Amino acid sequence: MNVHQNYVNNLMGKITTWARVNSPWAIHFNSGSCNGCDIEILATLTPRYDIERFGIKLRGSPRHADVLICTGPVTRQARERLLRTYEQMPEPKFVVAVGSCGISGGVFQGCYNIVGHIDEVLPVDAYIPGCPPRPEAIIDGIVKLLAHLQNGTRPEPIKFVPQEQV
Amino acid sequence: MTTETSLKRATEILAPFSKGNANPETNRLDVDIEASDLPAATSALMRNQWGYLSAITPTDLGKEMNKLEVIYHFCEGAAITSLRIHLPREDQPDIPSISDQIPVASFFERELGEMLGVHVVGTPDSSRLFLPDDWPDRVYPLREDFSVEQAAPVVPRATLPEIGRVGNKFTVPIGPQHPALKEPGHFEFSVDGEIITGARMRLGYVHRGIEKATEKRNWIQNLYLLERICGICSHTHTSAYAMGVEKLAQVEVPRRAQAIREIIAGLERIHSHLLWLGVAAHEAGFDTLFMYSWRDRETVMDLLETLTGNRVNYSIIVLGGVKHDIAAEHSRSIHTALDYLEERIRYYLHIVTTDASFLQRTRGIGTMTLEEARHFGALGPTARASGLERDVRIDAPYGAYHYFPVSLITGENGDLEARFEVRMKELLVTCFTIRTLVDNLPPGELAVRFPRKIPAGETISRVEAPRGEAFYYIKSGGGESPLRIKIRTPSLCNWTSVLNKAVGHQLADVPMLIAGMDPCFSCNDRMITVRRKNDLQTFSWSQIREYGIRKYAAVRELK
Amino acid sequence: MNIISSLISLMFFPAGISLILSGMLYEWADRKLVARFQNRIGPRWFQPLADTIKLLSKEEIKPHGVNNLLFYGLPIVALSGALTAALYTPVIGLTPTYSFQGDLIVALYLLSLLTMCTGLAGWNGASRFSIIGATRSLTQLFAYEAPFLLALLGPAMAAGTWMIKDVSTYAESHWMFISQPVGFVVALIGLMGKLELPPFDAPEAETEIVAGALTEYSGRGLALFHIGKSVELVVAISLVTAFYLGGIGNPLVFLLKTLIILLFMSTLQSMLTRLRIDQTVGIWWRFGALLALLQILVIVLLKGWLS
Repeated sequence: MNVHQNYVNNLMGKITTWARVNSPWAIHFNSGSCNGCDIEILATLTPRYDIERFGIKLRGSPRHADVLICTGPVTRQARERLLRTYEQMPEPKFVVAVGSCGISGGVFQGCYNIVGHIDEVLPVDAYIPGCPPRPEAIIDGIVKLLAHLQNGTRPEPIKFVPQEQV
Repeated sequence: MTTETSLKRATEILAPFSKGNANPETNRLDVDIEASDLPAATSALMRNQWGYLSAITPTDLGKEMNKLEVIYHFCEGAAITSLRIHLPREDQPDIPSISDQIPVASFFERELGEMLGVHVVGTPDSSRLFLPDDWPDRVYPLREDFSVEQAAPVVPRATLPEIGRVGNKFTVPIGPQHPALKEPGHFEFSVDGEIITGARMRLGYVHRGIEKATEKRNWIQNLYLLERICGICSHTHTSAYAMGVEKLAQVEVPRRAQAIREIIAGLERIHSHLLWLGVAAHEAGFDTLFMYSWRDRETVMDLLETLTGNRVNYSIIVLGGVKHDIAAEHSRSIHTALDYLEERIRYYLHIVTTDASFLQRTRGIGTMTLEEARHFGALGPTARASGLERDVRIDAPYGAYHYFPVSLITGENGDLEARFEVRMKELLVTCFTIRTLVDNLPPGELAVRFPRKIPAGETISRVEAPRGEAFYYIKSGGGESPLRIKIRTPSLCNWTSVLNKAVGHQLADVPMLIAGMDPCFSCNDRMITVRRKNDLQTFSWSQIREYGIRKYAAVRELK
Repeated sequence: MNIISSLISLMFFPAGISLILSGMLYEWADRKLVARFQNRIGPRWFQPLADTIKLLSKEEIKPHGVNNLLFYGLPIVALSGALTAALYTPVIGLTPTYSFQGDLIVALYLLSLLTMCTGLAGWNGASRFSIIGATRSLTQLFAYEAPFLLALLGPAMAAGTWMIKDVSTYAESHWMFISQPVGFVVALIGLMGKLELPPFDAPEAETEIVAGALTEYSGRGLALFHIGKSVELVVAISLVTAFYLGGIGNPLVFLLKTLIILLFMSTLQSMLTRLRIDQTVGIWWRFGALLALLQILVIVLLKGWLS
């Protein structure tokens, strides 16, 4: 009986993982970016890149989303909203930081209105570097995140040590 | 009217208030006035229809001078008149407001109050607007002795908006995270059913404090920092900055470099307008047009990548010239790409002016008359769609536009349709300009040697961004980094018109209205602005109703 | 375990797995066609299935200030309404499971149940977007419902029966999209309104009100509404095909006919700009209802004259 139930559980686990990997709905939040990353994220939707091939859809409501795509350094005013958006998302949820600013603060390090990079505010699962990353790179980053999901591992977190404040 | 006669006229108009005149550059007039004379001087300029308010630049002159400096820049064609006011360097010195005469000024006055700690007497709204909610009182980032430590977060003054239902009216928040906005900005529209009765705006979600940061970086580092003000019009910012610094350093940029800068600027305009076309179509729920225009935009992106090595932040400009040359094989691929693009742009022009279902969402929506456009201080295609002839490339040619002039495109109706039309036609002109430039690239060097230290002085450079006039005020103290850089981007000036126009429209039209002016939050948000609920400012209640009824009649006729 | 049991009970619901799966396939076909029209590759064939399973296995967040019973009950009522409607319609070219005189009216109202539930769910939600979405959903319901009903009554009157089965048998010998072209067009466009497809997607206009009435739903509730919608797509398309395009006949041919309708709908979807809600209502009452009424008047007169 127990074995049987285990088997069913395993199977259901496999099915849900499969569904999760094949249908990551994303929501996009700009927490202080210059817009460069944002237009490249938007470009991934369009015919040349067509992210819907992977089942990825950009949704408007955080309640519907699985992946939070963040761009830009986190400004003091946006911090609250970023957290709120994250909290509104149902589990399981993942965070992808796009662009140099999101990863390290980029050129905006030391500016007075910046809280820091995204992983100072949220637990980030994948980093996509570039200023801005190309649409291909963004797709690649998300697909890599999905591959980790499939294996049941979280991507290795990278600890970034910021330069001294300018 | 030539620049000289313009300036002469301004000297005469301002003579009663002047405490001293100067001509720092051939196209500029500097007039020192007392703070108390400001409203009178402004109204004298306005009465004589001399130009429009382009920017207000707040500067702290430092401990030695012990003064704050506030400059009001008015532009007419290439002529710039600056009203220079000195205030005592204390907490909250008084300066009178001019926003009753010039609506746009209220935005700039907010900046003054928040960033420099000046008390603007009589400004419509003096609440916290510039900086985050948790910013401490009496800490002003633009003061010389400001440090990041002073700005430690305090308990926020304002709380997040409550879920609002006042009687039968709702407040609908749009943003900061909202699908219609690819970037954060916060709007609150009070709606009665589907009709908008009031509009408020809070920006600053992407306020990073770039202006202050420029003072800590050297001239060359700033080039790359300023490029990242905005990913869509990055070239505009670098070229405006480079032009200003080159003027200060008295370096003549080789003609070939100027031409290459303008080619890139043209390609940027194409990419930006196609991007805008797609986003606006998406707001209207016409996703196919969004997909098509973005597909064609990739052609420009490829071209930009071929020429500069980057898709978004091109960084082709160096101080004193450009990095990369345009070779013969490049010009061939530019021509091929433009052939394709011109055909597509003509097709889009056809769509936005003839497609019945699209016109239903654009024709007669957000109409702004010529007078309103002038009154609200609109810029760029938004202004030109109302027939206002305002284009820096023509009024005050810079760089290669001296030798390769562009023609002015204006619309008549001032509604969304006209804005679509103007932008698409502008693209055709841009394609033509690029072709001419590529075919007639002047021979010569790509860049000249550039000094590390820039001689002391101040200058103004204006560049026509895809969205309108970008205004840079650059001040050097003779060192390796600037004393002060003030940037005023076109989106900021266009907000006034949009928020005023939203009242009386349907909620469904709002995303289109916002998209119609092609807003750029990251440009704006080196600073923050809040707009007070202005339903009673320009419209009385009965006027709103009347407007709403008229609008409905128009909708009915359409069907 | 909760997820699994609900998943299993869903799968073995009487009208069942095949209906839901075919709904998903229709949804995929629609999405794929729109993507192709937009010059994209589009989703893979199992996309709606993956979406649904993922949503079912997600955490369900209940916002503050909503009525529990309504919040959890409405998605179930919506889905069961759509599934029940399927019992009376010739889905995928099979003869209806149950039939009685007047089942046409019942089926049509069961189909409206989904929209009503969406509206109520939105009204129950605490978010402003969902309330505006709900208002729009219900407004739109009042706009298209009457013309759509009239458009389906046309064939029924011609056949002289209120039973779906008899109407479709009658339709096998009378291709009614030739004899009643106006009704056919109104029915088709009414179908798009019913399914809230572009250009009638104002109730869930992403750029204005995020996701409309369903903004606050996550996880299972959203999944059930999704399934309900794709079932409704199948049922409504089958109904229109059976009435206007030559009855049930051969299941394979029937399938092809429904796909042609789907193709037509996705073409319209990708060609048109979203209508504002006032424009939608205007179009329906100004043209839709009027034309459908005219059609019925003609049928009544003709029938009287012939007999």
